Amino acid sequence: MMWVTWRQHRGQATACLALLAALAVYAIIEGTSMRSAFSSDGLTGSCLARTQGTGCLNGTGAFMNEFGSEVNIAFWSVALIVPGLIGVLVGGSLVARELEYGTWRLVWSQTVPRTRWLAVKLALVTGGLIVLGAAMTAVIMWYRAPMDQLTGRLIHNAFDFEGLVLTAYILCAFGFAVLAGLLIRRSIPAMVAAFIPWLAIRLVVEFVFRPHFMTPATGPVSANCTSPQLGCGYGISSVPQITGHIGDLVLSMNPGNLVTYQPADRFWPFQFIEAGIFVALTAAALGATIWLLHRRAHWTALSPALPPRPPTGGAAGAAGPGFRR
Amino acid sequence: MAEHDAGGSVQALRTERLGRRYGRAWGLRDCTFEVPAGAVAALVGPNGAGKTTLLEMITGLLKPTEGQVSVFGQTSRAGTAATLARVGYVAQDHPLYRDFTVADMFRLGRAMNPGWDQQLAAGRMDTLDIPLKRRVKALSGGQRAQVALTMALAKRAPLLVLDEPIASLDPVARAELMRDVTAVAAGTALTVLISSHVVAELERFCDWLIVLSRGHVQLAGPAAGLLAAHRLLTVPRDTPDAELPGRVIYRDDDGGHSGVLVRADPARPTAQEHPGWQADPVSFEQLVMAYLQRPAPLTTQDDPAPAAQRPGPNMKELPR
Repeated sequence: MMWVTWRQHRGQATACLALLAALAVYAIIEGTSMRSAFSSDGLTGSCLARTQGTGCLNGTGAFMNEFGSEVNIAFWSVALIVPGLIGVLVGGSLVARELEYGTWRLVWSQTVPRTRWLAVKLALVTGGLIVLGAAMTAVIMWYRAPMDQLTGRLIHNAFDFEGLVLTAYILCAFGFAVLAGLLIRRSIPAMVAAFIPWLAIRLVVEFVFRPHFMTPATGPVSANCTSPQLGCGYGISSVPQITGHIGDLVLSMNPGNLVTYQPADRFWPFQFIEAGIFVALTAAALGATIWLLHRRAHWTALSPALPPRPPTGGAAGAAGPGFRR
Repeated sequence: MAEHDAGGSVQALRTERLGRRYGRAWGLRDCTFEVPAGAVAALVGPNGAGKTTLLEMITGLLKPTEGQVSVFGQTSRAGTAATLARVGYVAQDHPLYRDFTVADMFRLGRAMNPGWDQQLAAGRMDTLDIPLKRRVKALSGGQRAQVALTMALAKRAPLLVLDEPIASLDPVARAELMRDVTAVAAGTALTVLISSHVVAELERFCDWLIVLSRGHVQLAGPAAGLLAAHRLLTVPRDTPDAELPGRVIYRDDDGGHSGVLVRADPARPTAQEHPGWQADPVSFEQLVMAYLQRPAPLTTQDDPAPAAQRPGPNMKELPR
């Protein structure tokens, strides 16, 4: 069964490796120039030290001018949909292709029962996607490291690709697509039908739920930060506690210079919570798929692969019995 | 009339009041028949008669709504390895993975079937001159059918089920495939069940007949016995059914004479004794057609005993 799974998915595996390679090439080129700019802008050593305030402001500004929009906006918008695309492209055809081409009759009539067939395939493909997600995360984390030193990691564009959540996003889209494939029985519509709710959930979690994963902390803004959104926003390692906000509006200054925020050291708890949500959705979708495949008895009437057959010569019912001579 | 052993030995295939409902409509109902070990049985019926539904239940792909299937005495449970292992199945249109090579298909067969016979599979491809390295999409329709058949054979299941194996093939490939199936069945202990709506092709190869129409078994039994038991009569048009020697299966009254297919009653005199009557043996195709075209409404409650338990050729007898 391992070989069967590999044989059916090796094309996808190759495509995923190519994608990973392209990402790595981009990350190495951009990451290297980001690193040299980082030091030439003087953003090293004491400048980034805990107690520094505005010392690095010029360097930070120059660095953000050069890389800010590319790394934080362009890359983010691409990387927002890529995990979903990977997931639905791999998952959409996993069951649907068998139903689409009628090969379910072949593969489910072998001695291996179809629920085991599905369980093995899901386990192996899920494992492959976890490896892919981890590798992509590692590449992106290395690439973003200079930027993260300035912005912290508990902001949208860093949080979404670092740690655990990227892998969880891929798995969730995969799970949705496998289930949609079983229900819709066609690969491409299943991919679309899975991607749309995936993206909706992904954005709703990011912008609605994520700021409330934990009760925000409230505290005074550090003395040097007169303008947290700007000065501290691109600040220094003491400041990412403030800049490390999650959500757009968690930061609310009050007259007493107090700020409500999600401290940057909550990065990992937040990662676990968000990854947990998506892994739970994945498990629900895949569990439903196995259950439906086990329970649902008939596919015949629904398989689109069999066109109506034109009557052949000698077909029953085509002519009378021909009794009369 | 051929007598087949219905009670003593274990039947290769036995269905008991098998039924499958799709939503509110029954795709197949009250389907009872047997196929003895070693038989090559033809399951004949028009499209939509429920043939595929029946075969999928026999294979273990589809769970019956009611009734049960047993294969060599073992009751089948849909979707379990034990049930799936007993039946080799070639589905309609011979589904295979298009981008697999023939060798890949066989490797899949080996990976998914403990009893896989690689020697048989490779040997058949050698005989048929189908290269193992060729991709499925590069094969002709006949070659694909042969690969699909080989996969089912190499599974080494005692019962082989073929769903419309020849419908999509040209006449040459049809004859070749049917010859291969019957040769294998004759050379091994294999029991074969072939569904088809192409009646003519089956006559030469099948020794057991099951006629299915409108979701019900119309006729089931040994082909030779059924043919011997039926007569095709040409009688004057006003002859009432009651005077005919046997039970009227189908009657065609267009014209001066009536063409009547009767199931002969051995206790009654044959038609030859009547002046102006003519009696002929019935052909396989005429027999099937007559049962398929019977206008009688089909009810089943009059038949409490499974048809297979009756002596002689089994037949689903229905009220007229």
